Amino acid sequence: MKKYYSISLLVILMLILAACGGGDTTPTDTSSAETQQVETAVETAAEEVAVEPETANEPVTLKMTVWDIATTPYWQAVVDAYEAQNPDVKVELVEISSQEYQDKVNIMLSGGDDTDIITVKDIPGYSAMLTRGQIVPLNSYVAADGLDLSVYSGAAEELTFEGSIYALPFRSDIWILYYNKDLFDAAGVDYPTNDMTWEQFDAIAREMTSGSGADTVYGTHFHTWRSTVELGTVQDGQNTVIATDYNFMKPMYDMVVAMQNDGTIMDYGSLKAGQVHYSGVFKNEQVAMLPMGSWFIGSLITAKNEGEIDFNWGVAKYPHPTGVAAGTTAGTLTSLAINTNSQNKDAAWDFIKFYSGPEGAKVLAATGNLPAVRNTEILDVFSALEGVPPEANEALQTAAVRLELPMHPKVGAVEQILNEEHELIMTNSVSVDEGLAEMTSRITEALNQ
Amino acid sequence: MNLPRQNTASARRRTIKDTLIAYSFILPNLLGFAIFTLVPMVFSLVLAFMNWDGANVVSWAGLGNFKQLLRDTTFRIALINTFYYVIGTVPLTMAAALGLALLLNQPLRGRNFFRTTFFFPYVASLVAVAVVWNMLFHPAVGPVNQLLMTLGIENPPRWTADVNWAMPTVILASIWKGMGYYMVIYLAALQGIPAYLYEAAEIDGANAWQKFRNVTLPMLTPATFFVSIMITIASFKVFDLILVMTGGGPGRATNVLVIHTYNTAFKEFRFGYSSAIAMVLFVIVLVITIVQFRMEKRWVSYM
Repeated sequence: MKKYYSISLLVILMLILAACGGGDTTPTDTSSAETQQVETAVETAAEEVAVEPETANEPVTLKMTVWDIATTPYWQAVVDAYEAQNPDVKVELVEISSQEYQDKVNIMLSGGDDTDIITVKDIPGYSAMLTRGQIVPLNSYVAADGLDLSVYSGAAEELTFEGSIYALPFRSDIWILYYNKDLFDAAGVDYPTNDMTWEQFDAIAREMTSGSGADTVYGTHFHTWRSTVELGTVQDGQNTVIATDYNFMKPMYDMVVAMQNDGTIMDYGSLKAGQVHYSGVFKNEQVAMLPMGSWFIGSLITAKNEGEIDFNWGVAKYPHPTGVAAGTTAGTLTSLAINTNSQNKDAAWDFIKFYSGPEGAKVLAATGNLPAVRNTEILDVFSALEGVPPEANEALQTAAVRLELPMHPKVGAVEQILNEEHELIMTNSVSVDEGLAEMTSRITEALNQ
Repeated sequence: MNLPRQNTASARRRTIKDTLIAYSFILPNLLGFAIFTLVPMVFSLVLAFMNWDGANVVSWAGLGNFKQLLRDTTFRIALINTFYYVIGTVPLTMAAALGLALLLNQPLRGRNFFRTTFFFPYVASLVAVAVVWNMLFHPAVGPVNQLLMTLGIENPPRWTADVNWAMPTVILASIWKGMGYYMVIYLAALQGIPAYLYEAAEIDGANAWQKFRNVTLPMLTPATFFVSIMITIASFKVFDLILVMTGGGPGRATNVLVIHTYNTAFKEFRFGYSSAIAMVLFVIVLVITIVQFRMEKRWVSYM
């Protein structure tokens, strides 16, 4: 029996060693080797691409991770436009549900998946992927093709970490204020303007709240994401959500908690328990105003066209703190990155260039989404879309856009703490001061680890 | 005298052949166990002493992860919440299961139907159960609070939206889900109690309560022992019900050890630290189970 024990122990040890041996690649080694290969390959590829994009050598299939294809029309639209221009390239979309998108992508990449193009949904995911060497730096590609990254109005700088950029932004959404024109008309209140402070917003919301029980019309709505409240705290550019003292968030939290206690907005606990989505409450005319991202415009246009809603809606610039210029708002970036394990990096780069560039931007704008490349031509395409309210063109012009969650290696841990404390404050389990104090102490501890 | 020649080479070869045949029968299960359970467990044990973020090099951390556990406030909260959950769930589920089993052991009409109904939650999809319970206990429009308000309670508890009521709500859902399974075990054990014991008790003039205390309970101790071990281990490992019902919230009110392990591993990419938390949980469950086994001799009687 002893012999069998020692043999089985040996087998187990060997299995462990084999498993350990698999994960032994250091990111710096691979990326430097890669950039050398990439530089030589890009020189030859750049000439081919510049001269004749249609004559690639052999048919290439690229795979790209995306989410919710059924409700997000632009994925396929841009792919079709690219395939029309490049008949030798086929792009396959790998669909993942948006709720578990980042978790699933992390697991795929940890398992060595070779999907070529990874869509970057948010900054924590971006930070996680680049600190673990799962997406490649694009600086050499950008330099070889002579791309001018200033067309992204500062978005490229937000995505740059320690000098390297790992993804190109293709969608840059900003936060704006949606409102129900019919409800405002019925109440005899003036529409929100493009230059409102948060105090004025608060006053209008309280004026517009009416009714009770099932017929209640709430002045406005704060979705359960912590960003809906915390965006207003970073608009003045003095702080970001990764800070050493969170007292700067007090005015905004005080305002929102007061609104909740006075019944101007639906309470957080009910929203969370019922998993209520902001689109439902706005489309059902239960709220008069809704601060939300510009991606919702496409949703509303589709809803109007399909007859799901029949009221008139408008958009205005996001409210701002006193003393900050109107048009300052917060933004989120959606970008595209190349998987370190991809076998078709050059073809993937060409596709990303198209998607994030002016041509992809036009297709995106035509589907009612805001591309990262923004100039008057593209904004006109967007505003000309049927269903986009006329004031949208002005509302979408921004003075300064700040990323709601900046790039930081520990951003995952910080966001977890922010979410937990936000929940405690919004369910009135702790006072605003206690919640912010706990945020400060816990995040300081997390950042020092 | 002819000694039976048992020690020959052929006899030894025959023993080895028999042993190999025996192993080949259990090999599929053993392989599956080794690959999917044993190896990951040993890997996790080793990983608790390392630092790893899932993609880069594994580096040695020694006792660093365990030292950090002592400073981590979330770990402390998760530990307390886990014990809170276990102390709430285990006795109540056992009591509910025993009560149901006693009830459904009587000759009632529709007894089989009720046995099925009470067992059904155990096999129902956990996500569906969590979603429905959230709807039932919705702070504003849920039937439970509507009922409480019509009964005159003005501000009924806000259940999963309240830090003090979130854990009791989860415990309630867990009891409802698990009691059917243990009810079946108790039913089987009840039916194994010989009838002559009850007759003897009746002859001695025992009433219903005395029969329960002096005949039923002692005869059920083997089943109770089994149920208590199974349910204690399962309660320490609770994860999916809490994840779907509250996500560990509000704040960290229902954050238990396995949820903390999940967050540190997959949200913060600290697999070494997460394995250390898992090891602590393993040791706790091991110690409690050993204690339970040691105490078996004192209170479990096998007739």
